[in-house]
Amino acid sequence: MASEKALDFLRRRLCDSSFVYSAFKSTPAGNYSKLKFLISNTITEACNNSVLLLGPRGCGKGAVVDMILEELKGEFPEIISVVRLNGLLHSDDNFAVKEIARQLCMEHKLLFSKMASSDDNSQFMIDMLRECGLAHKMIIFVLDEFDLFTQGKQRLLYSLLDAMQTLTSQSVVIGISFRLDADQLLEKRVRSRFSHRKLLFTPLSTEDMQSFDVKPKNILGDKKFKEILDVLSSVDNTISNICRFLYHAISWMHFESGLLTLDGFKNALSCMQRQPMLDKLQDASILEFYILVCMNRLGSREQNSFNFNSIMKEYKAIQDAYKTSDNYSWSVCLRAFEHLIERELISFLDNRMRSLSIEYRPVRLLLSSQELYQGLKSNAFCPAILLKLLNHESYR
Amino acid sequence: MKSRRSPLEPEKTPSKRSYVAPATPNTSETRKKWRNAKKRSYYKKLVYDGGVFEVGDDVYVKRRDDAESDDDDPEAEECRICFEIGSSIMIECDDCLGGFHLRCLKPPLRKVPEGDWICEFCKARKLGKKVKLPRPSDGKKLRRTAREKLLSSDLWAARIESLWKEPDGTYWLKCRWYVIPEETTAGRQPHNLRRELYLTTHLSDIEMESVLRHCYVMNPREFAQANNEGDDVFYCEYEYDVRWHSFKRLAEVADTDNDEEAGNDEDWKYSIDSDCDSEDDSDFDDETVGKFSCHDTPTHELAANSRRGRIFGLHKIGLKKIPEHVRLHKPTDLERAKSMLLLTALPKTLPCRTKEMEEITLFIKGAICEDHCLGRCLYIHGVPGTGKTMTVLTVLKNLRIEVDAGKMRPYCFVEVNGLKLSSPENIYRVIYEALSGHRVGWKKALNILNELFSEGTKIGKEENRPCVLLIDELDLLLTRNQSVLYNIFDWPTKPDSKLIVIGIANTMDLPEKFLPRISSRMGIQRLCFGPYNYQQLQEIIESRLKGIDAFEEQAIEFASRKVAAMSGDARRALEICRRAAEAADYRLKQLAKSSKSTLRQSLPQGKHLVGMNDIEAAVHDVFQAPHIQIMKTSSRWSKIMLAAMVHELYRSGLCEVTFEKLATTIRSLCSSNRELQPGWDDLLKVGCKLGECRIILSEEGAKHRLQRMQLNFPSDDVAFALKDCPEIPWLSKYL
Repeated sequence: MASEKALDFLRRRLCDSSFVYSAFKSTPAGNYSKLKFLISNTITEACNNSVLLLGPRGCGKGAVVDMILEELKGEFPEIISVVRLNGLLHSDDNFAVKEIARQLCMEHKLLFSKMASSDDNSQFMIDMLRECGLAHKMIIFVLDEFDLFTQGKQRLLYSLLDAMQTLTSQSVVIGISFRLDADQLLEKRVRSRFSHRKLLFTPLSTEDMQSFDVKPKNILGDKKFKEILDVLSSVDNTISNICRFLYHAISWMHFESGLLTLDGFKNALSCMQRQPMLDKLQDASILEFYILVCMNRLGSREQNSFNFNSIMKEYKAIQDAYKTSDNYSWSVCLRAFEHLIERELISFLDNRMRSLSIEYRPVRLLLSSQELYQGLKSNAFCPAILLKLLNHESYR
Repeated sequence: MKSRRSPLEPEKTPSKRSYVAPATPNTSETRKKWRNAKKRSYYKKLVYDGGVFEVGDDVYVKRRDDAESDDDDPEAEECRICFEIGSSIMIECDDCLGGFHLRCLKPPLRKVPEGDWICEFCKARKLGKKVKLPRPSDGKKLRRTAREKLLSSDLWAARIESLWKEPDGTYWLKCRWYVIPEETTAGRQPHNLRRELYLTTHLSDIEMESVLRHCYVMNPREFAQANNEGDDVFYCEYEYDVRWHSFKRLAEVADTDNDEEAGNDEDWKYSIDSDCDSEDDSDFDDETVGKFSCHDTPTHELAANSRRGRIFGLHKIGLKKIPEHVRLHKPTDLERAKSMLLLTALPKTLPCRTKEMEEITLFIKGAICEDHCLGRCLYIHGVPGTGKTMTVLTVLKNLRIEVDAGKMRPYCFVEVNGLKLSSPENIYRVIYEALSGHRVGWKKALNILNELFSEGTKIGKEENRPCVLLIDELDLLLTRNQSVLYNIFDWPTKPDSKLIVIGIANTMDLPEKFLPRISSRMGIQRLCFGPYNYQQLQEIIESRLKGIDAFEEQAIEFASRKVAAMSGDARRALEICRRAAEAADYRLKQLAKSSKSTLRQSLPQGKHLVGMNDIEAAVHDVFQAPHIQIMKTSSRWSKIMLAAMVHELYRSGLCEVTFEKLATTIRSLCSSNRELQPGWDDLLKVGCKLGECRIILSEEGAKHRLQRMQLNFPSDDVAFALKDCPEIPWLSKYL
């Protein structure tokens, strides 16, 4: 029971972003304190600001904003109201304005009408900014996926940033984006109104990562564990990735002893580092391997475009030369070919010639020869001749 | 102080006013009055009982229940020590508001000291001593002034909204009440000033009989300047909503703080249209609002974001308590500098644009002042942040002053922003609404406007005024057949259109991009706003920072030179300076925090100027792309991948590389440097991550090995970022 409880506890901690990112709070020169200073200053000095948070996914941009807003809400009760928009949902200007109106109505317990036109809504937004400014209230706009708001004419950003140019309004626009060039995407008039504050979030360095992992202390000293972490971080060294890894690892926890074992971590790593292409090759049939090898041979002969018929020609030539037992009829081969297309190991060259039947449409191989070689080798039933055929052509 | 009201009874506040009920006409009577309202004669100024009362004045109002005490109503205050009203100068204690003769004080003062002054009694009380106030000699009652009565709620204050004479000869006024902090639900808050009042939304009609005399309620700016206005001066910054028990800053106060322009055009139109010129518009608005809130229950609640529900809905927004940080905060030099550098803080004067201003003034005057008003077009262009809109608005403000002075024919002004319209056709609707106040669909609006401008039909009863139409972001009005632009620029050419169009956009050759029939109409008169050069930028910044000692001289020059070299955008320059000031402020506060915790030594105040370093950092922040930082901190394989891309670039000379080729390069690099071989799919993942951040440009991942990739930044940047990377020292070989 105790181990289950511990598991529960660990999982809850890993899923709680405010715990995971709490390390940000302690560093004085970090983004957390800078952003907090910026926003609280904006509140006390009653001015407007706009800031962009940039950085790769999983670096804690959103989490930091959440934590700061939470904290400021405690510090200045009743003053802050937050409007959250997501570029994936609200990139349409009219809809975004409507959503802003809706959230503001919710926040201030006003009645919201779905029928109001977008002009009304934007007017409402501007009035609201003014009224809130008069009442010393502050509206914080959090625009997630900021880069997606820059599609189209950017009317939303323009009217938001332009509304912030009046003295009575009090608001902060926080843009969150993983695109480093997000501010370059802004149209020139919008950019001129934007205040060009950027906070850069960077992934962890290795030392940080070790300090970050304080929970499973019993294994941390292990050299093997360090290796695993290195491998993991060499692909992706963001916090969220590590959390995901730890979550996996915890699920492999040894129940009798209630300890996290090294095997668990290894298993988790292999879970994280799936190789989907090789996995797809794992359970391909022999005939499918033949087709892939044929395509590879054709490709290495600098033959750029080939379709099912030319592949069949190659296949027949191989069968004639080596007289293997895997001589299948044309229709069986076509079915195997279709199967390969479905699994996206091969694909059509373009979508243009849809009217053509499958066997005439040009295709291409999505696997490199090394991958194919690995796949063939790891397959126990693969005939030796196939490996030879592949090796013969690709000098390996 | 016989009846001080407990502040904790919210219902009391509105109901208290009903004590006045005998003095107000009863409802049936009122309704009758409303019907034959013609018989009422309204006044703007009224001489009553020896005093002159005007709309907008503030007065004391008698409470009916202590009507007997108003026979001794001392205009002047007695000295707290000698209890005489002397002609000699008195000084007021900032704490208890008691008045003292300078000569009665111990030791006597020669002149009124600067800053706050607190009397000895209050000082002693603060130190915790028992204080015996001097009592007046026997037989002389301590007389209370009107101010004291008001502050102990024995007297009321109100603002006159309108004055009229009833048919039966009595004089009445509609007033808005003031409340003292004790009468609000929040009670007296620690930051309330002694003389602070709140303006309520509560209106009522009272008879002139009950008006005592004038008092002077001032907004913060006036209050700060007032020093010798007598005892009846009060301070009012906030409005108190009796219905929702919430506070809000007074709109006029905020507006007058810096002659704000937003919404001014709207006000102006009204004040021209309505016949009573002197009536302040914001008052007008407030009155309607007040009427709304006077109804106890609205018949049906309106959605706040719909057009009709807005006024009512927005009224709910207000603070239950005024936050302390707003009032008690004393800005330091840096903070004042920051607030002056805000884009919102419009300067009193507009430096560096005198020539353009003259030209626009001439253009508008030339169009309006002639007897037969000719339609004209002006096209203004310039890069963002060169003050185009602001200049035009300033010109129009100056012209408005001339109109008010009667030197010019009145005209109406409509401002439209192309980017704020939901579709280009909506401009007709907006223009028509601004001209007439009616809302119609755009097609109907177009028809009416066509008639109006081409045939000269009248909208109202009076003759049409010349109309100045300012279209910001003109290029956004472009439709496929360009009919919107054609219409707008065609109207001025009609003989009696009286329309003057000023278009603003960024590109210089915008007229040439349009159809020839449009460009021939709009492209005749143009005005170019060039980017500011560094002297101008410096002048702009310095004019804003006048009197604030926060920036080093060279720092401003450096910032303006930097911006002038890049874009000449004034907004950018101001933002950079603000950013630098913010950085300095941040540093200062961190320093203060750390020193407080260790040594508690006081920092030398005022010695922290914004220097070159701060500006440099801010400029770096604004203009520098953050990619190098990201490259430096990216994961191991992303670094290897970037290095391999540079390697590949040098080897092949092509900027594009397919994923297959790149992967083989990476694997060979790894094997020759005894590195762990990454799997293909891992590499693909890494490539996607880099592509997401736009460090490299890549096709979609579904193409797999045929995916083409390309560096988004110069290879030198990559080399710089990865040259001395401690984890993978062998990378520098390939860069």
